[in-house]
Amino acid sequence: MTFKSALEIDCGIRYMFESLEIISPCGRKMLLGSEMMTAKREVDYYYSKLNEIYYKDCSRIANKLMCLKDIQTTLTRLDEGAVLDDIELFEVKYLAIVSQEVLKLLEELRIKAVRLPDVGEVVKILDPDGLNIPSFYVYDSYCDELRVIRKQMRALQGEGEALSEEQRMELAALLQRNADLELEVRMKLSAQLRGFAADLQLVLRNLSFLDILIAKAGQAKKMGLCFPAVVEDGETFYNGMFNPAVRDVVLQQGREYMPVDISFEREPVTIIGANMGGKSVVLKSLALNQLLVQFGFGVAAHDCCVNLVDEVALCIGDEQSIVKGVSSFAGEILAIDGVIRKIKGGQRLLALVDEPARTTNPVEGTALVEGLLEVIGEVNGGFVLTTHYNIKNNTVKRYRVKGLRGGVMDYTLEVTQCGDVPHEAIAIAQSLGIDPQWIEYTKRNLNN
Amino acid sequence: MPFIKEILNYESLSIVGLEKNVGKTECLNYILYRLPLEKIKVAVTSIGIDGENKDQVTSTKKPEIFLREGMYFSTAESHYKERRLVSELVEITNERSSLGRIVTAKVSVGGKALISGPSSGVSLRRWVAGMEKFGIDLTIIDGAISRLSSASPAISKAMILSTGAAFSSNIQTLVQKTKFVVEMIGLPKLVDSTRDALCDIESGVWGVDNDDNIIDFGLTSALAISSLKVDITKGMRIIYTVGALTDKLLKLVSDSKNIRNVTLVVKDFTKIFVSETAYRVFCNRGGKIMVLQKSKLIAVCVNPTAPNGYVLDSDILCRKLEEALKLPVYDIVKNNYDI
Repeated sequence: MTFKSALEIDCGIRYMFESLEIISPCGRKMLLGSEMMTAKREVDYYYSKLNEIYYKDCSRIANKLMCLKDIQTTLTRLDEGAVLDDIELFEVKYLAIVSQEVLKLLEELRIKAVRLPDVGEVVKILDPDGLNIPSFYVYDSYCDELRVIRKQMRALQGEGEALSEEQRMELAALLQRNADLELEVRMKLSAQLRGFAADLQLVLRNLSFLDILIAKAGQAKKMGLCFPAVVEDGETFYNGMFNPAVRDVVLQQGREYMPVDISFEREPVTIIGANMGGKSVVLKSLALNQLLVQFGFGVAAHDCCVNLVDEVALCIGDEQSIVKGVSSFAGEILAIDGVIRKIKGGQRLLALVDEPARTTNPVEGTALVEGLLEVIGEVNGGFVLTTHYNIKNNTVKRYRVKGLRGGVMDYTLEVTQCGDVPHEAIAIAQSLGIDPQWIEYTKRNLNN
Repeated sequence: MPFIKEILNYESLSIVGLEKNVGKTECLNYILYRLPLEKIKVAVTSIGIDGENKDQVTSTKKPEIFLREGMYFSTAESHYKERRLVSELVEITNERSSLGRIVTAKVSVGGKALISGPSSGVSLRRWVAGMEKFGIDLTIIDGAISRLSSASPAISKAMILSTGAAFSSNIQTLVQKTKFVVEMIGLPKLVDSTRDALCDIESGVWGVDNDDNIIDFGLTSALAISSLKVDITKGMRIIYTVGALTDKLLKLVSDSKNIRNVTLVVKDFTKIFVSETAYRVFCNRGGKIMVLQKSKLIAVCVNPTAPNGYVLDSDILCRKLEEALKLPVYDIVKNNYDI
């Protein structure tokens, strides 16, 4: 799965991407095209680099990266032996100058996370006068005849006075000769530079990568994210897990956001609790953080250990599709069926299911959920569902949202042994200020 | 010719034509030829294509733009490759046009080039701001046909207007039409306690009542004016339209009883799209239009030759225009200022 496709998962990952301050277009492109990491070795290596950047002040490097342009096409052309034009040679020179400047800063700051090849020779070739300024043209010093021709052109042309027919012809001939000589020089330069094409491509890739690392480190500092421990086929736990998108909205409204603790291994997990108790947010946060870990971001928790998976499946019950002609129930059941098939096929999967079978009658609904938990059995990755049904299965780990305490919602989770769901729906409905008669009749019916 | 000296007082200049073939490019060349480059650094670009040797629409011969050594210019990369001068590339900007990325270069051996710069007002404004890093003292924008937008004071501080037989081949009509545009350019700037607040508004039609309260009429633009059921001029002393000022809005104010007490305000003259007749009726009834930002019109240049071959008498034309406009008017081609 690429990062671009992960953005489609509605868990708050897009919010993380949008608040990530990647400077260069090529850094952005690289991140969107990056594949999800699934091996512990790979993830550990990535975080060791991110960790190094995290503790360095990279603001001067970031300043340099503002000048980074995506010149992949030019470099490919150079590699294939094409003759570059003025604009392309300018791009190459510019990249080489930026790279040399960043290289100097990396050495100064003793950063080893990203290595840049020395392309000083490229700068030298494109800067024959040693001016060290980011500009380019076919300099007079490349060719003696050019110098002569241009001198003649200048003399003839002056400041743009009117020319006689004869002078015009002469000027045209000079312009032509100038163009021919420039082409010769560009051919020579392109041939000389071709040997550096691979190095320059590496430079572009590594500068983009550096841009991503600096952005991720900056985001981790700004949002208070942590770097995770990762395991394969082990326990996942989060202390103080949160969802930045939700947290920021809640804080903006002047309310308090409560982080939650949660852990699981191979056994399925059920979360019960009052409506509006943040159950769906827990599922979304689990999906988000799993993606953040496997794409090498800071993780939204105080600290955590995460079991790596091949895929994250988040079913939040909006699979209804008028186009496909399936009802909300059918859409949901088919999506869950897909999860079961993957688990049976031995995939490492983190499956997160929000209130399965909620759109049907509670008798069959309960049976369907109980059956689902039974058929899942054990899973390498994780299986977490939320429900309002009383589930009898004994093999599951149960969490419950603490719920209303003295009229205030406590969103934190606690492990519970019994499967009885809380009866707080009426109290919560009442707190929303709905029609009092409706509440009254409901209570009367319940007591009968 | 005196107006070169006047140009030097401004950091940005746009040259706009009221029609194609009114001699705008000659005017630009005239200025470029005379600017004292030993004293100031100059950058040139255009909104849309310019400097083509043949007119793209009427196929008449057109002068090319001559850039002198030391000048900076910005053009699309495909046109950069066709330049007939030697220049040093200094920047690939983030602006794009349909002809590719816009690049900036410094001329090292003078010559001719096609100039096609950023095509929107916003990107032009960014371009002007971006020239600062090269230490440019004067930016010159060559406007495209009947696109006055580049002359908006938000983009350039001063302007030169080109008009000519191509705009109208009857001297009287030409003078009258040109006079109307010049009148709009010369509309007075609003001096009011609410001016700063009005400048910050980004869209819609607004009013200022007699107690200085700024009121939103809830219209997305003046085009939506017909959906109004109430008289918006009632109790107002200012009606401000952020976008275009149309005949409809003008008429609405014209027809109200309150016309003498209310001032119509627009951002700048480029936002005015009213017919002369409607404007005259409005003025006769006591109406006033003011602008938030004003640009300085330095001079008017004329080309008495139309692409269809019609030639007006240059001296009479210049004299009549000068009388009507109370501004210096120049025929650059006839006076043959050796370009």
